[in-house]
Amino acid sequence: MIPERIIQTHELTKHYGDFHAVNQLNCRVRSERITGFLGRNGAGKSSTIKMLLGMISPTSGSGTVLGHSIANAKDSIEIRRKIAYVGEDKGLYGYMTVAQLIWFTKSFYPDWRPEVEKKLLAEYRLPPGRKVKALSKGMRTKLALLLALSRRPELLILDEPTEGLDPVSIEELLQTLVTAPANGTTVFFSSHQLSEVERIADDILIIDHGVSVLDMSLDQIRENYRRVTLGFNIPVPKLPTLDGMEKIHVNGRQVTILASWNSEAIAQLGRERNAVAVDIAPISLREIFLESVQDQNKQDQQTHWEQQNALV
Amino acid sequence: MLWYKAWRETRKVTLVGIIAMAIACVLIMYNQQLMRDHADAPMTYIAYIYKAVYNSMGRDIFIILSIILGSGGLLQEKSVGTVGFTLSLPASRTRILLWRAVVGYLGVLAIAITPVIVVPLGSRYLGQSYPLGQAFGFFVLWSACGALFYGYTFLLAHILEGEHTSILLAIPSLMLYGVLMGLPWLARFPMLNIFDIMNGEDMPFFDERLRMLVGPLPWLTLVVIPLVAMSFVFTASRRMQPRDF
Repeated sequence: MIPERIIQTHELTKHYGDFHAVNQLNCRVRSERITGFLGRNGAGKSSTIKMLLGMISPTSGSGTVLGHSIANAKDSIEIRRKIAYVGEDKGLYGYMTVAQLIWFTKSFYPDWRPEVEKKLLAEYRLPPGRKVKALSKGMRTKLALLLALSRRPELLILDEPTEGLDPVSIEELLQTLVTAPANGTTVFFSSHQLSEVERIADDILIIDHGVSVLDMSLDQIRENYRRVTLGFNIPVPKLPTLDGMEKIHVNGRQVTILASWNSEAIAQLGRERNAVAVDIAPISLREIFLESVQDQNKQDQQTHWEQQNALV
Repeated sequence: MLWYKAWRETRKVTLVGIIAMAIACVLIMYNQQLMRDHADAPMTYIAYIYKAVYNSMGRDIFIILSIILGSGGLLQEKSVGTVGFTLSLPASRTRILLWRAVVGYLGVLAIAITPVIVVPLGSRYLGQSYPLGQAFGFFVLWSACGALFYGYTFLLAHILEGEHTSILLAIPSLMLYGVLMGLPWLARFPMLNIFDIMNGEDMPFFDERLRMLVGPLPWLTLVVIPLVAMSFVFTASRRMQPRDF
């Protein structure tokens, strides 16, 4: 039986010396849904995925995938048998031909679907006789996707799957991913293309500096997240902090508040403080993502600048 | 199917190695009269084959190819960017590594056996004769000693990152080993000199005058050497278990 939480981590941590790639990450990925895994470069996405697959060992904390512990070597093999994975570098054996690599890969998986393999070979126009090293980056990405999608895995983990693909292939891939949950496959994918994530994801997990900063369904985000703008014709009065206020920006006589919920109460507070203009607007995933990571980004830039100055 | 991956990784070196060894043997045999005529002292055909194949060019080719075949593995895959795909397969690191070790060593054996086939057959074609038993005896010596060169490089390949780093370190370190074995206080232990065991030089089982294997082979040594090589592979496997990729 597939557990309801297909991926679960508890205080999952990975340190490389002083660098904290993943820092006490708690996350849950629900089964038969599409979860978009977002974060800046170096936020810890790939390290998290590699820990889930047993490629790197956690420094501390724990995690399960499909009910199997990621720390146990035997369980880890079972995890890899049940899931399909496409890594960010799409590194495939250049010395094999497309057909040989397919033949080699399918020998590991009893759930291989030859009809899907044939369909994808035609769809992606992959030449079976060509050596993998002679394929373009986009074609290699397509081959990596074919190897993952030609099965019926319980979980599909994709790290930057659309990188290097042309728009038509991206569209075909997104359509494939959208239908995957209906076939019993959970999709967990990382991407920097927020518009793609917003199109197909059911749930969103954003991490920054190895810490989860948002773990919510897209429906909840759409329903609850609002940008509340308050305009005053007097100097901005001091506003008390209400539940749901995530970020407050003051610009002259205008206050912009990012609300994760409770936007009506926040707007009402503005009216009570004599705001002359009150606006509640929905907010896109891109804006939420940027708001979630930009404070830390500024801090990082400041730290980097100070370190550079110290060196000079 | 991990055997297939390992075979594809080693196929080119193995086949090129077999061909290079065969060509070397053929050229050596083809030029035998000329070379023997210009030798400082009269030399039998058997002594010439020994000198050229088992104590010179053939042996050197074999050692270098054993080192090259030992240079694969997960760290090399990391440097070429395929390790993520390999480690995402439902197979343990031990299995991946052992298949690579076994198939690579079969390549070493294939190169080692090439003179056994080529030299006696080619000799007959040239109207000469080289005993099959001699060729087979050297195959046994090469197989055991080659395992050590192979295992040593295999271990280095699982310690040092980089596509060719292990080869670049293995060759000079084995040269240094050869130099050290020439020192008087180490020369007292001939069974420590793998190069001499390979070609029989200064060994009780080898007749220096006839240039032939005469006595029983040093079976204990020939068992111990592959066991040492296996311990290198085992150590490499142990090193890979906790490694982050």
